Amino acid sequence: MKSSILRAGVALACALGLAACGGGSGDLLLQGTIYSGVTKAGLILTNNGGDDLVIPAGATSFQFSRAVSTDDEFNIEVKQYPSNVKTCTIINGKARANYYTIAQVSMSCEIKTHPLVIKINGLSTNGLVVVNGTDRKEVQPNLPTLAMNPVYEDGAYGVTILTQPTGQTCTVSNGSATMGSTDENNNNVVVNCV
Amino acid sequence: MKFSFARGALALMATLTLASCGGGKATFPINVSVTGVSYDGLVLTTNGQDLPIHYTGDPKTPATINAVFPNGIEYGEIYTVVPKTTTASDGKTVTVSYPQHQTCSPATGYPIGLPITGTAGQLSKIQINYVCSINAYPLTGKVTGLRGTGLTLANGSGVATVSVSPALGTDNQPTGADITGLTLFSVTFATTYGVTVLTQPTGQTCTISGGANGTGAGTMDQAAETAGGVSNFVISCVNNPT
Repeated sequence: MKSSILRAGVALACALGLAACGGGSGDLLLQGTIYSGVTKAGLILTNNGGDDLVIPAGATSFQFSRAVSTDDEFNIEVKQYPSNVKTCTIINGKARANYYTIAQVSMSCEIKTHPLVIKINGLSTNGLVVVNGTDRKEVQPNLPTLAMNPVYEDGAYGVTILTQPTGQTCTVSNGSATMGSTDENNNNVVVNCV
Repeated sequence: MKFSFARGALALMATLTLASCGGGKATFPINVSVTGVSYDGLVLTTNGQDLPIHYTGDPKTPATINAVFPNGIEYGEIYTVVPKTTTASDGKTVTVSYPQHQTCSPATGYPIGLPITGTAGQLSKIQINYVCSINAYPLTGKVTGLRGTGLTLANGSGVATVSVSPALGTDNQPTGADITGLTLFSVTFATTYGVTVLTQPTGQTCTISGGANGTGAGTMDQAAETAGGVSNFVISCVNNPT
């Protein structure tokens, strides 16, 4: 008789203990800092494969709506990337929850880049220097195209002439626009030299 | 006689023992680490000592330079390691011995953000960390004739574009008045710039003049640095033909 009471008591204690642990209704707010790269809507994070969290464009931090309990495992992963993001790196995104670990999560995303290859017409002499901001390229004559440094998707570019070639004058048309989402035929920049 | 010999030996021993104990006061070397050094010219100073940080390598590959002040300081001495300042003979002009074209400040953040001032012996090792960055100077100028909305300017890729709105009169209508004193972009020393119109304002076309080459492009060179930037930008906007 006595032992059966004990047994029931243990079972009850176990049940209570399990309820306290497993429910995911803890008091630790799982959050993180976003350092860079979230310039567009579309990013969705998950914790342990669920609890989807939609991150808006320009966000610098995130916080899951469901709190976690001490010693719960959390594992933050990316479910969906914004269309202009190559990859996101989550640091300290997987751990057992406590006051320390939930405050150590951070993320940075790398935005896609695309080649900026521009057309050159009629250049027959040396000396032409083309810039896209800090990107400076000396152009050899008689080449149909010039590869500038890659440009971030949705980022601006502004190609202009720094130095004219010897004996010729070049003009840039459609030199400034916003980079699209493709690697080829993604710009209409033409440098015409006469 | 025997006694006096023993006494003499004792006295000698005592002297030797004292010398070995007291003579060498603990000294602390002042270690310095400077990151991001692209040019020569930095001189750090503390406790009446100067420590030049020399760099003659390629400015495009900044270096981390570790050095130690020539003399250590004794336990309890206070140190404050700062770039050396020199006051000119007029008593006003103060020159700081930074690297050319650079500015340096104490490192911040874990684990390199250590205090630049302290007392020798407070920490087991004196370590001073500085970080240098290359100076940037502004492109400034004005916009004329702007009446439409939507003008944005770019300086290549990777820097935020600049939007310019027209000047409005008391009736909230665009006046087309000059917008002066515009700071367009900040350009790092020895890099190129090329300002272009990314989007034209509604109903207007704007063209850019100024910069070193007259058409909005140039290099932030020594002359531009001496002038404190490039201030001759004029963005002229005219109405499109109807």
